[in-house]
Amino acid sequence: MKLRPALFLGTILGLASVALADTGGLTVTVPPEGSVPMAEGLAAWDRINEVFTHPRCINCHVDADAVPLWTLMGETATRPHGMNIIGGESRIGAQTLTCSTCHVTSERPNTLPHAPPHANMDWQLAPVEFVWTGRTSSEICAQVRNPDTNGDRDLAGLIEHITHDAEVGGLISWGFNPGGGRDAAPGTLQSHLDDIIAWGIAGMPCPEE
Amino acid sequence: MAVATIARRGFLIASVAIAGGVAFGTWTVRRPADNPLAKGREPGQATFNAWVRIGPDGIVLITPHVDLGQGTTALQSTLIAEEMDLDPGQFTTDPGRPDGAYWNTALAADAVPFRYTDDSIPAEALRDMARSAFKLIGAQVTGGSSTASDSFDKLRHAGAVARETLKAAAAQKTGTDVADLRTESGAVVLKDGTRIAYTDLAGIAAGIDPVKVTKLRDPSEWRLIGHDVPRLDIPAKSTGALTYGIDLTMEGMVHATCRVNPRKGAGMRGFDASRAEGMPGVLHIVTLENGVAVVATNTWYAMQAMKAVRIDWDTAPYPAEQADHWAEVAASFTEERLDSVWRDDGDIPAALNGGAVIETEYRAPYVAHQPLEPLSALVRVTGDRADLWVGHQMPRFVQQRVAKSTGLPESSVHFHNQYVGGSFGHRLEFENIDRAVEVATALKGVPVKLTFTREEDFAQDFPRQIAMARARGVVKDGKVHALDLGIAAASPSRSQAARLGQSIPGPDNQIVAGAWDVPYRLPHHRVTGYAVPGLSPVSSWRSVGASHAGFFADCALDELIHAAGADPLAERLRLIADPVARKVLEAVGEMSDWGAPLGAGQGRGIAFVASFGVPVAEVVEVTMTDRGIRLDRVFVAADVGRVIDPLNFENLVQGGVIWGLGHAINSEITYSDGAAQQTNYHMAEGLRLYQTPEIIVRGLENGTSVRGIGEPPVPPAAPALANAIFAATGQRIREMPFNRHIAFI
Amino acid sequence: MIDLTVNGTQHRVDVSPDMPLLWVLRDELGLTGTKYGCGIAQCGACTVHVEGQAVRSCQLAIGDLSGEVTTIEGLGTPEALHAVQAAWIEHQVAQCGYCQSGQIMQAAALLSVNPAPDDDTIDHAMSANLCRCGTYPRIRAAIHGAAAKLGGA
Repeated sequence: MKLRPALFLGTILGLASVALADTGGLTVTVPPEGSVPMAEGLAAWDRINEVFTHPRCINCHVDADAVPLWTLMGETATRPHGMNIIGGESRIGAQTLTCSTCHVTSERPNTLPHAPPHANMDWQLAPVEFVWTGRTSSEICAQVRNPDTNGDRDLAGLIEHITHDAEVGGLISWGFNPGGGRDAAPGTLQSHLDDIIAWGIAGMPCPEE
Repeated sequence: MAVATIARRGFLIASVAIAGGVAFGTWTVRRPADNPLAKGREPGQATFNAWVRIGPDGIVLITPHVDLGQGTTALQSTLIAEEMDLDPGQFTTDPGRPDGAYWNTALAADAVPFRYTDDSIPAEALRDMARSAFKLIGAQVTGGSSTASDSFDKLRHAGAVARETLKAAAAQKTGTDVADLRTESGAVVLKDGTRIAYTDLAGIAAGIDPVKVTKLRDPSEWRLIGHDVPRLDIPAKSTGALTYGIDLTMEGMVHATCRVNPRKGAGMRGFDASRAEGMPGVLHIVTLENGVAVVATNTWYAMQAMKAVRIDWDTAPYPAEQADHWAEVAASFTEERLDSVWRDDGDIPAALNGGAVIETEYRAPYVAHQPLEPLSALVRVTGDRADLWVGHQMPRFVQQRVAKSTGLPESSVHFHNQYVGGSFGHRLEFENIDRAVEVATALKGVPVKLTFTREEDFAQDFPRQIAMARARGVVKDGKVHALDLGIAAASPSRSQAARLGQSIPGPDNQIVAGAWDVPYRLPHHRVTGYAVPGLSPVSSWRSVGASHAGFFADCALDELIHAAGADPLAERLRLIADPVARKVLEAVGEMSDWGAPLGAGQGRGIAFVASFGVPVAEVVEVTMTDRGIRLDRVFVAADVGRVIDPLNFENLVQGGVIWGLGHAINSEITYSDGAAQQTNYHMAEGLRLYQTPEIIVRGLENGTSVRGIGEPPVPPAAPALANAIFAATGQRIREMPFNRHIAFI
Repeated sequence: MIDLTVNGTQHRVDVSPDMPLLWVLRDELGLTGTKYGCGIAQCGACTVHVEGQAVRSCQLAIGDLSGEVTTIEGLGTPEALHAVQAAWIEHQVAQCGYCQSGQIMQAAALLSVNPAPDDDTIDHAMSANLCRCGTYPRIRAAIHGAAAKLGGA
């Protein structure tokens, strides 16, 4: 698999951890190849899937209908985003009502309950290829491990996807710290990153159907 | 109707709306009111009555009925301008000062226990007495869809007097005969075509006694009435130029917000504002009677600091949990809580005895007003006067109330009415005014603009009354034979009167309005009202009692019609006993092509409710999709006697239908720990644009008196929708909000 | 000190960077055409344009503002109405009018990217603007009217 030079160096030197200047405060620890058994990899995947299918994440990983989902405080069921909002083909509502009209771009903490949450990047639906709603753990796993369906990413790419988000204060970071009294995705961005790495080193195993 | 039945109602109109009773003589009632415009008149200015003032600088039409969005400014000015031969642009409008001269001549008439279709001598006598009482107390009130009724003759007459007096002035000025003069487009026109602008006649007119007018123009001569007249406030509302009360600014003004116990009426045990005091922009923390206000250099600073104040509240004076409110309502169908039996035709006990009795129960929850402009008030109190700039529907009551709380004489309390960003009954109460006066009194001399947060507005809203109905009915030979409807509700009239320091002397007609007086003739028909004590304070919500009683009565009837195997429109037509109401039902049947086949999953429902003297029939068409009910089309027919402005009429009917449907579908207020659980619009949305069906409107003019249209379209909407859902799905929904039982897309 | 440009005019305000743009406009700059209705982006009465994009000014902190602001006052004046404002007047949309500044700003933003929106598009673009008076049927008609005037279908 391809590795970015710095990570490659870290692996070659067998360093226990590599804290890179541009990882948004996260610690990237890549264990040696072969050091994560399959069972541990599958367990890591289970935790990853719990994050992915948590409302803070999955509600924007929707299909081509582009209807964002709401799982609101005080309500028992997930439902379509109110006010007839859709992301459209642009996935950001550009042809109708842009997501960032209400979900502004800001790194300020989300303190206001019931207000539209914000992150420090354009609020948007995930690309349509990354649809997770209505998918099983196996199906999501298959989508995430395959460069053809995950935005052309290998493990280093997946790691960079997360560290870049941490740098800017993007949507993945928001999921773990949504503010306003909202239920956060389980764990932390760091633990999630660790799981991604462990799963990756374990060979990206997917559970049986 | 027999005179003897009045005694059975036990209702003495002479004491209505007046605490402590008033004894009055004929002269006191008949004496014309003083013209408030006569005081403070400047040289060269003429005023012929309380509604017109002319000076060299221009013509001002006084439009005392506050504009809440229903177009009263346009309506009032149109009526005056019609007779006075003014064109748009030739006058400005002003709400005027609060004054007894602007007493509402129409509102009293609806409070009497006679059906609106009843014009018998006893009914009219009682209405006359009610009007007299209103006049004596100078009850200047906007509400109850009464502006059109109150203004139609009165303001045309005012315009006619102005016109004739200006002609007399022109005759005097030119030495000609009044008979040779006519008026047109803001000027008196001489026989030779010379035009003298009204403004040029003001000086002379000021010295002439207003000319008596006994005859108003024939409708065939109308230029404005009955035509679409573009509303003069709409351009400013479309460019951000029109200021509402919440937008006003003044030199030296400070911004404030407040929090008062959401357990309405309960007190405050203590508070800790230490964290708020040092926050940006904070100027003062003010202790209120049952809450706290924060004063700052910017509204947002005040709101942020307000959040940082910790307050310890007293418990609610009513049940803390919603379930207990419902339990109290359910327990109120008792002799002890009996409030009225104003409909008792035939022999209900006999009719219900030994037949198959169909029993149904209905519920209507508390609902909030929450117009889009939150409550606010700009107030300045000094040692010798108080000024208030805020929109309100009862200016004289505001004046009296503030005089009392400040200790100032009424004449020193200056109330400046404002355009209002929606009311639906919300601007009949005084929470914003009381709090703003408290803060302004504490900061003597400093103008204080107090703005409620939306959350505080939701918390302090006196909701629409909670209500339940129990219906028992019998069908026979394919017809509805008997309907016994009992309605238990919190009493909005009593609750409001109490906050005005008054009581109502008899039953609350709002518990049964729209149900007891429906113009049907059934062989056996009884409507009983029960008043539920001790619940949340409640207030008038667009269409007041008919908003629950109309829903109950029409749904109960629709179920009986279905049980009889009759057609919902045909049976209503068979039962209707008033020709004006009949034409309304026929019209909506024709508009909706009732009876034409519908597709799979589609259904039509019809409802008829008469409120505020206006019979309204609505047909709703829905489709049951795989994701829920879709509203397709609504047809509305309403008779107001005279459609004064067709465009505004249509806009208000559509708005009223949308109001009724939206709340029926998804809105309620529920109490927990003594406070409303709904804190902002995400929890009480009403209808959104994408859900709005096409709404086709027809105004009929067969009624004999001119009526308003602000509220009447609301009550039939919910039952028409419930009946349509039944037609489409077979499911009967008997409580609002409907989304407890079915999804809507 | 924070600098901002509103309707082509530069301003400097001395407020907390957390202050929503809405309250800078209303209380600091006296531009009260933009309204406070809910504070949580449920009503849209506070809608302005930032670099031509519609934004709920109750959500945008002044410290996060990047770009020029246009409010209802800057969209058009009684002497030089924007096509949307002219359509709003022609169709007599407003009742109380309090929501209409936001409705107009949102409609103008829609038409700038979609000059001939169909009913479905209008439903998706305008349903986050709340009107308690229920002027929705006329809003739809006015948007179609404005689109026609602007040269769309």
